[in-house]
Amino acid sequence: MTGHVFGLGIGLAALGVAIGLGLIGYSAMQGMSRQPEAIGKIQTAMLIALAFVELVFLLTVFVVPGSLKI
Amino acid sequence: MANQKSSSGLPFPVILVIGIVMMAGGFYVSKNVHIDFLTKLAEQGISLDPGKTISAIGVLLILFPVIRSFYIGPLGDAISGRTNELERTFTEAESLRSEMTQMRSDYERRLVETESAAREQIQSEIRKAQELRGQLEADARARADEYLHKAQADIENEKNRVINDLRIHVVDLTLGATEKILGENVDSDRNRKLIAEFIDKVEVPG
Amino acid sequence: MGEVLTAGTLLGAAGGEGGAHGASYEGLFVYLGIVVVILFLFLANAKQGLNNRVFKKWTTQWTEQLYLFIENMTVGIIGGHGRKYIPLIMALWMIIFVSNIVSLFFPTAPTADLSFNLALALISIGYVQWEGMKANGVAGHFSHFAGPKLGGGLVLISLMIFVIELISEVMKNVSLSLRLFGNIEGGHQAVVAMNELGAGVYIPIGFFLLPVKLLTCVVQALIFTLLTCVYISLVTHHEEEGHEHSHGELAGAH
Repeated sequence: MTGHVFGLGIGLAALGVAIGLGLIGYSAMQGMSRQPEAIGKIQTAMLIALAFVELVFLLTVFVVPGSLKI
Repeated sequence: MANQKSSSGLPFPVILVIGIVMMAGGFYVSKNVHIDFLTKLAEQGISLDPGKTISAIGVLLILFPVIRSFYIGPLGDAISGRTNELERTFTEAESLRSEMTQMRSDYERRLVETESAAREQIQSEIRKAQELRGQLEADARARADEYLHKAQADIENEKNRVINDLRIHVVDLTLGATEKILGENVDSDRNRKLIAEFIDKVEVPG
Repeated sequence: MGEVLTAGTLLGAAGGEGGAHGASYEGLFVYLGIVVVILFLFLANAKQGLNNRVFKKWTTQWTEQLYLFIENMTVGIIGGHGRKYIPLIMALWMIIFVSNIVSLFFPTAPTADLSFNLALALISIGYVQWEGMKANGVAGHFSHFAGPKLGGGLVLISLMIFVIELISEVMKNVSLSLRLFGNIEGGHQAVVAMNELGAGVYIPIGFFLLPVKLLTCVVQALIFTLLTCVYISLVTHHEEEGHEHSHGELAGAH
């Protein structure tokens, strides 16, 4: 049973993170196409934002199994 | 948050000693120290060994300056050296170009000078030739005039002589004729004078 | 874990009590040795191509491109004085990238070990603190944690901000190390899982993940160094107010 819950939780986390990543990419691309001269800065900011959103998923993956077991 | 002092600021031997001490300490910690919290973490799937971390920090502390002095420093030097060389080459080319422009303008100026000098020379020669021509012409004209005058004077003399001759002849003729007509003793001197006056009055054109 | 780990057991991969995650103490340093050997072979090869003209050797050209890229990144993020951080950032980039590449072809790698990543993150953040102290003085650096200067009874709020900033500084280490570890180790797990999927028909499906993992290798090395640059710029750019804001946002994102 816990295995199923774990899988569901991971899936939900992945869903949310995927939506977040997509939003970041969406707005970054929009900004880039609107201002091609600012591509460098936008890319930097985008990568940082991607890294932080991704971290949420990684935290979920490493924290959820422990909290379920104990 | 350990306060590592990274490569900048400390001399390399100090870093080496710190690194080796940290490696040895990490080994000791890894083998002998066990923390409950970390075993719990490991059960969660996160295996964290502080000994490994400390040793790795030691290794990296040594590794960074080594990589820096082994490769990154020389690479940066090479790149900046190349940039400097490029800049120098460019400035050199620029100076060469300006020099060339200078030389060209010099050359052009000299060309113009030479041209104008040549033109002047030609002009002066032409002028000299013209002067010479005028002189020659004037000479020739003067001589021709002289000849003409002489010829005219000759003609005048001849004409006067002929007219005188003619006059004498006419007088003689008239006298003869008159003698013939009158047949009388006419005071020939007085008559002759009279006739000469008459002839002077009549004056043959010529 | 199947086939892959038998090679890993030879090198002491499955030593830790956590099982599959990371190598044992000796194993980690064997892998670190592999990384260092590869790195130095590459660099020694590249070093022969160094001259003051056009670099002909492809290894030298790669490192030149990397150098220019990192110079661009540091100068772009930190500002004009960021040029002196190039050696550290580039060394970090190369170590992380090479050990990520090692993780593509070996059962484990230094960056697939959380302890090693924590060491990298500690060095990075420790360097940031060191630079902050050098730039602002020790007192100035710690008062930087307390946020804007508030008078009167608002000192309590400053104290709270100070504590939160301290926690966020600690969390920077965790986030840096956990991100790298999660990406590399997660890639490993994905490859292993997909290999098991194709084990019945003897097709190594996980092999086809290699391009994606290669992209991950580059991106993770990039993000680690990029965040280090951002942290350095936060402690050395104290005069600009906009950076204070982004500092708060970054801290909130942990």
